[in-house]
Amino acid sequence: MNQGSNDIRLLLVVGIAAMLMLFISLLLIFIFTQRKKLQYQNELQAMQNAQKNQLIEAAVRSEEIERHRIAEELHDEVGAILGASSLHFNSVRIEEPDESNQSLYQKGKDLLDEGINKIRGLSHSLHSSILQEFGLNEAISHFCSKISHESIIEISVTLDNSYPTQVGQNDISIYRIVQEFIHNITKHAKATKIFVRSIYLNKTLMITITHNGKGLTQPHFEELRFKKDGLGLKNIQNRIILLKADLKFSHHAGGYAIDISVPID
Amino acid sequence: MFKVFQLVIDWSEVWALLIPISLLLLKKQPAVLKPVVFYVWIALFINLAIDLTWKIRTILPAEYNSNNYLYNLHSIIRFFLFSLFFIKLNQAFLTTVKKVIPVCFLVFVIINFTFYENFFDYWKLSSRLLSVEAILLLFYTLQYYLFKINDHVGVNIFNSDFWIVTGLGIYVTINFFIFLLYNELTIRMQHFAITLWNAHNISYIIFNLFIAKGFYESRKQ
Repeated sequence: MNQGSNDIRLLLVVGIAAMLMLFISLLLIFIFTQRKKLQYQNELQAMQNAQKNQLIEAAVRSEEIERHRIAEELHDEVGAILGASSLHFNSVRIEEPDESNQSLYQKGKDLLDEGINKIRGLSHSLHSSILQEFGLNEAISHFCSKISHESIIEISVTLDNSYPTQVGQNDISIYRIVQEFIHNITKHAKATKIFVRSIYLNKTLMITITHNGKGLTQPHFEELRFKKDGLGLKNIQNRIILLKADLKFSHHAGGYAIDISVPID
Repeated sequence: MFKVFQLVIDWSEVWALLIPISLLLLKKQPAVLKPVVFYVWIALFINLAIDLTWKIRTILPAEYNSNNYLYNLHSIIRFFLFSLFFIKLNQAFLTTVKKVIPVCFLVFVIINFTFYENFFDYWKLSSRLLSVEAILLLFYTLQYYLFKINDHVGVNIFNSDFWIVTGLGIYVTINFFIFLLYNELTIRMQHFAITLWNAHNISYIIFNLFIAKGFYESRKQ
């Protein structure tokens, strides 16, 4: 009787211990494999993100190279041909009495001059030599002063002078983002007043663009980013990813604001 | 001091259930956890009846002062509700087996209590019923982990169903041998059997803590 009781007691203790050990082992195997899988997935995700960023970077860089090449081509080749044509055109002599020919000559000369100016403008907008020579602040100020027109649109610029004038590798992207936003504000938001401000603090450049037009809010931007066919916002988004920057849209009583925060290495 | 501890442990089958129930009052649980929600409410009433019957057994008429049939009832309800919970998890693994098991268990219960045991046995709970229930629930628990090991891992591996399944796994792992040998122990070593029930009660507290954690995690999902 006593031996039997002891056997049952032993069976009970051994049984519970064995079951618990097996269960805990399985649980540990489960947790270990799940953690491994999760770690692997996270690494894969990080690798995919890095690849995506590399692709974006390559696309943005090649776009810049292409812009540069076209700008040079326009300026050096087409601009030179048009300039030479203008010189030849100027040397042509039209007889005084022939009023009809003189009018055609004058019209042709005006069109040629206009073409030269357009090519020069296009070349400069594709490749900002000011940015290369004088830095980001000067390029933004120059661009804004070109766009600004007293009777149509007024752009005020207050930029932090502590930002280095030496051109950094990301400055072209920052410049393009500002350029694209100002284009969008004048074209779509129909703003009459734009204020561009920058602060450079703790190796972070914060640019704020405020305007009185009909701008975007954060949800609206998120929606447009995926729906809109236009390349502008996608380009901005790609450059934001490339710069590892933050972009925020907000609406205040005074108007709409776009905050761009870029870490500078 | 020991008496207070014993009193707390004796009533643990009731108060432990109040932990997950208090979380239920704070937030509605998703449909997949409904069987577990039903379980904690039903278990509260059954366990309250079990403990009250035990505590006031001296003043109850002799034919009504056994609570063993309530343990049998609790076991059957627990098995079916947790089977439903595992089926509702929609894991594409052993799906037919998981649906057949409750039917087999029902057949087993009917045959067992028709031919071999008395459901309302005054002297003992059904060791056979409780141990079969425990081993089948353990099977459900193990197949859950096996499926998860082969499945794509989510963002959070410690989600609500993980905590509930783990709590159940711990409970049935500890109690399988207790249930299996309990009838034998009550005959041979009654005092030891009563003391051993404390181990059951402690595992039941752990089980309820895990259910509560599961309910709490469902708020984040």
